[in-house]
Amino acid sequence: MSGRQFLFPLTALAVLLTIWYSERITAVPRPSGPVHVTYWEKWTGFEGDAMRDVVDTFNKSQNRVHVDLLTISGIQDKTLLAVAGGVPPDVAGLYGPNVAQYADDLAVIPLDDYCRKAGIQESQYIPAYWGIGYYNGHVYCLPSTPASTALHYNTALFAQAGLDPKHPPQTLEEMDADVAKITTRLPNGHIGVAGFMPAEPGWWNWGWGSLFGGRLWNGKDKITANSPENVRGFEWVQAFSKKYGATELQTFRSGFGNFSSPQNAFLSSKVAMELQGVWMYNYISKYAPEIKWVAAPFPHPANRPDLANQTFVDEDVLVIPRGAKHPDEAFEFIRFVQSQKGMEQLCLEQQKNSPLIAVSDNFWKRHANPFIRLFTDLSKSPNTTPPPKVGIWPEYRDEMVNAFDEIALMKQTPKEALDAVQARMQPKLDEYLERLRMRKAAMGGISSASARDALGGKQP
Amino acid sequence: MISAFTRRDGGKNALTHLVLIAMSLIFIFPLAWLVSTSLKPIGETMQQPPTWIPSHVQWHNYRDAFMYGSDQLGYIPFLLYGRNTLILCVLGVAGTVVSNALVAYSFARLRWPGRDLAFAITLATMMIPFPVIMVPIYGLFRNLGWIGTFRPLWVPAWFGSAFNIFLLRQFFRTLPFELSEAARIDGCSEWAIFRQVILPLSKPALSVVALFYFMQTWNDFLGPLIYLIDQRTFTLSLGLQFYQSQHGGTQWNLLMAASTIVIAPVLILFFFTQKQFIQGIAVTGLKG
Amino acid sequence: MKARQRETLTALLFASPWLIGFSVFLLYPLMASIYYSFCDYSVLRPAVWVGADNYRGLWNDTVFWRALTNTASYALMALPLGLILALSLALLLNAKVRGMSWYRTIFFIPSLVPAASLAVLWLWVFNGEHGVLNEILRSKFHVNGPDWLGNPQWTKPALALMAVWGSGNAVVIYLAGLQDVPVPLYEAADLDGAGWWARTRHVTLPMLSPVILFNLIMGIIGTLQVFTVPYIMFPGGTPARSTYFYTSYLFDNAFLYHKMGYACAMGWIMFLIILTLTMVSIKISNRHVYYGGS
Repeated sequence: MSGRQFLFPLTALAVLLTIWYSERITAVPRPSGPVHVTYWEKWTGFEGDAMRDVVDTFNKSQNRVHVDLLTISGIQDKTLLAVAGGVPPDVAGLYGPNVAQYADDLAVIPLDDYCRKAGIQESQYIPAYWGIGYYNGHVYCLPSTPASTALHYNTALFAQAGLDPKHPPQTLEEMDADVAKITTRLPNGHIGVAGFMPAEPGWWNWGWGSLFGGRLWNGKDKITANSPENVRGFEWVQAFSKKYGATELQTFRSGFGNFSSPQNAFLSSKVAMELQGVWMYNYISKYAPEIKWVAAPFPHPANRPDLANQTFVDEDVLVIPRGAKHPDEAFEFIRFVQSQKGMEQLCLEQQKNSPLIAVSDNFWKRHANPFIRLFTDLSKSPNTTPPPKVGIWPEYRDEMVNAFDEIALMKQTPKEALDAVQARMQPKLDEYLERLRMRKAAMGGISSASARDALGGKQP
Repeated sequence: MISAFTRRDGGKNALTHLVLIAMSLIFIFPLAWLVSTSLKPIGETMQQPPTWIPSHVQWHNYRDAFMYGSDQLGYIPFLLYGRNTLILCVLGVAGTVVSNALVAYSFARLRWPGRDLAFAITLATMMIPFPVIMVPIYGLFRNLGWIGTFRPLWVPAWFGSAFNIFLLRQFFRTLPFELSEAARIDGCSEWAIFRQVILPLSKPALSVVALFYFMQTWNDFLGPLIYLIDQRTFTLSLGLQFYQSQHGGTQWNLLMAASTIVIAPVLILFFFTQKQFIQGIAVTGLKG
Repeated sequence: MKARQRETLTALLFASPWLIGFSVFLLYPLMASIYYSFCDYSVLRPAVWVGADNYRGLWNDTVFWRALTNTASYALMALPLGLILALSLALLLNAKVRGMSWYRTIFFIPSLVPAASLAVLWLWVFNGEHGVLNEILRSKFHVNGPDWLGNPQWTKPALALMAVWGSGNAVVIYLAGLQDVPVPLYEAADLDGAGWWARTRHVTLPMLSPVILFNLIMGIIGTLQVFTVPYIMFPGGTPARSTYFYTSYLFDNAFLYHKMGYACAMGWIMFLIILTLTMVSIKISNRHVYYGGS
């Protein structure tokens, strides 16, 4: 029995010790010396390593600020929760298309003052990339790495089909004809090689209307999902399902391996033409360096030569979340990334194009991607399509992607599907704008104070 | 406990084994695949059509998974995650046993006005979906300044939970009330009766509560996901997501090796305690 | 009188952890979530009252209805399947044969595998072209399996099948219930010359009915909240939103669209649905459930 007597106090003591220990672990360390800036980034692998190198360069370049880079998955939710919880990082690497939403929610602070003091201005950037971070008259973020898209095509498959590998299709009509020539069937009727399929890789399924000049909203208060141009774009998408069979394409697609593997549809020469971004080279050189390929501008409708050089532009961005403890030091780091030196180091290692207009010869010389100039030129084209800068974009995009599914699976006509998107999203946008107004009104009394806080970056 | 099927002949026995083995094959499938993938070179993990046997067995996947990220961070994250998970389990299990035993004792063996109504309400709370209260609870912990600490993940365990209160109450009610009466006549306080009479008799039921909580905490993903901020404070289930990459390039073999390491302790625990576990639930009885 | 008061006080002291826990971690959040469900709220700004707008919005929201019907049709497949399979497994695992702890552990394994790893496995098993399942169907049964993951009609049956693997918890509870069936009842049945099926039908099932009811209610609660595996396997509920479930939409509204008020309204509707279904199942089962005492 005497053992039992001690059991209870001993257990209690153990629990108390554990509590003490758990508090010690989670206590925020207060290191002396340089100011520690916490930076959350989503990248892993070589892209993450590239940023880590840039951070090291920055940390070594001075001794006042030390950036701690943390790899965070699910960075959007995590940043939202951390800002809401009052414990945000000092810098966060978000996605460009989310900036409007985060700005509307006051989750990120405007960088105008910082930019002015640091001499960072619009004229230094390729307009499409500056534009992504510029919202409602403020700069809310600056690019970390940008991207643009182009047609990637497999020249061997072109040659096999009797096409000239040096002449990629210029117009969508030529492209359709080429697709028909390249596409082969197996003896059992299944597709063996596809010339092109809109669903592969399927990362811009919301945007096919832009090939015909379609826009998803008017930039102010009107959704234009079912504009004639957009309907035209998705009719082009559905034509593939009509011609080659929705089920056949779907079955073919389910046989593709993981994107990031040698079984990738393009790398394994199953699909001859793909709309892909500047990063595709990285996957090709890693998994299938032997395939022969060329990048070229994506084709345009024959009767719309003005829509040539259509490209989707997007970027990952750096923001300072509201409530950051060291916004000034955070911006020092962002400023370093925006310098030609920092940016070229990052974009070279990640093998992307630079968002800056000034590019050194060294950058061109050392860049591994043989088509890097094409991607840079495309990003300067008048026909760039960035994701719409509207706060409801995440929801709108999901809706468009679903409409794409309905259309590609032949469950609805493009008109029906896009009308449904229009009917659902316009009221959502109206409500969103109305609620923004209401929030502003509700915060009217404290708005000037909080704006000052936001600009100064201090926690309200 | 005597089995319901005491008399059986060899033929039936063999048949039972046959069916059990067939079903086991189906159920062991995920684990077999997990282990098989964890030993493959990365190139084979996502191969189409899939293969079962690695072309060569890569044992070092386990070391790589264990050390994953350590050269960048300067510490072994896996060890830290394990330590954090253990801390949460210890604090949570202790809290859940103590608090639910106390509360269930009150519901089962003490009389107070409104008791039965309170118990009915307690049962009803089991129906509240977590998403309903997720947002306000987050707000609550934020106002307390607890985001980024372990507290949101273990403090609530010290305040009881409906399912466990229910289990323990059912059990406490099966113990003879004469025991308490006798102790009361001897002049024991309620606390003494609880400590010295009831608790020693309740080990099976208490272990069930502890085990349930342990397994739940070990695998909990959503809680750590929303409350923990610093990577040094992450738990194992949360740490697993570092093996995945959003831009493709996930190290599947390492992810599977890490998953295998993570589920092994719980699996072993279940293997050795399943009998007590099941009997523990049985003695609590789920009947009204 | 005095003793009575003292007993009440003691009892309340014993119950105090839960009384506090209930008020702080359940009652307060519940009340707050009712309030938020009538507000425009993004966690980052103070909530602004908007009346019944969120509920009205839900009523007119086609995706909300889609998510609700998806969840309902999934539950109609997964619930009965899981219930029957878990019960059969429990009966099987209750047999007195050697090596039972191995078998029981094996059946519990899938409930322990982390959802992220499990999701990857399922992508692999159910792949329409090269999936293990369709390979087996082709080679053993000469049937061409469907495109489980690409055809909107087959995604929910696929998910329901996956859920079967996770029935370990229900099996454990059934097993526990089986320990409770009094042996004399079986002996009596044996004397009457009842076979295995008759014994199961007339002794085991009636004695087990409260446990079945318990598992049914737990199943309803769990199935209607299906989230993790489809959310990882089918980002955005593809194809054509066939795997977009109630909790997926709730989660997206809260954390992707920053519409916490809308999400709270959804949560409340779900609570009412679960409450109603539980009441109904208790009502219906009253006639069929056998409680030891009564």
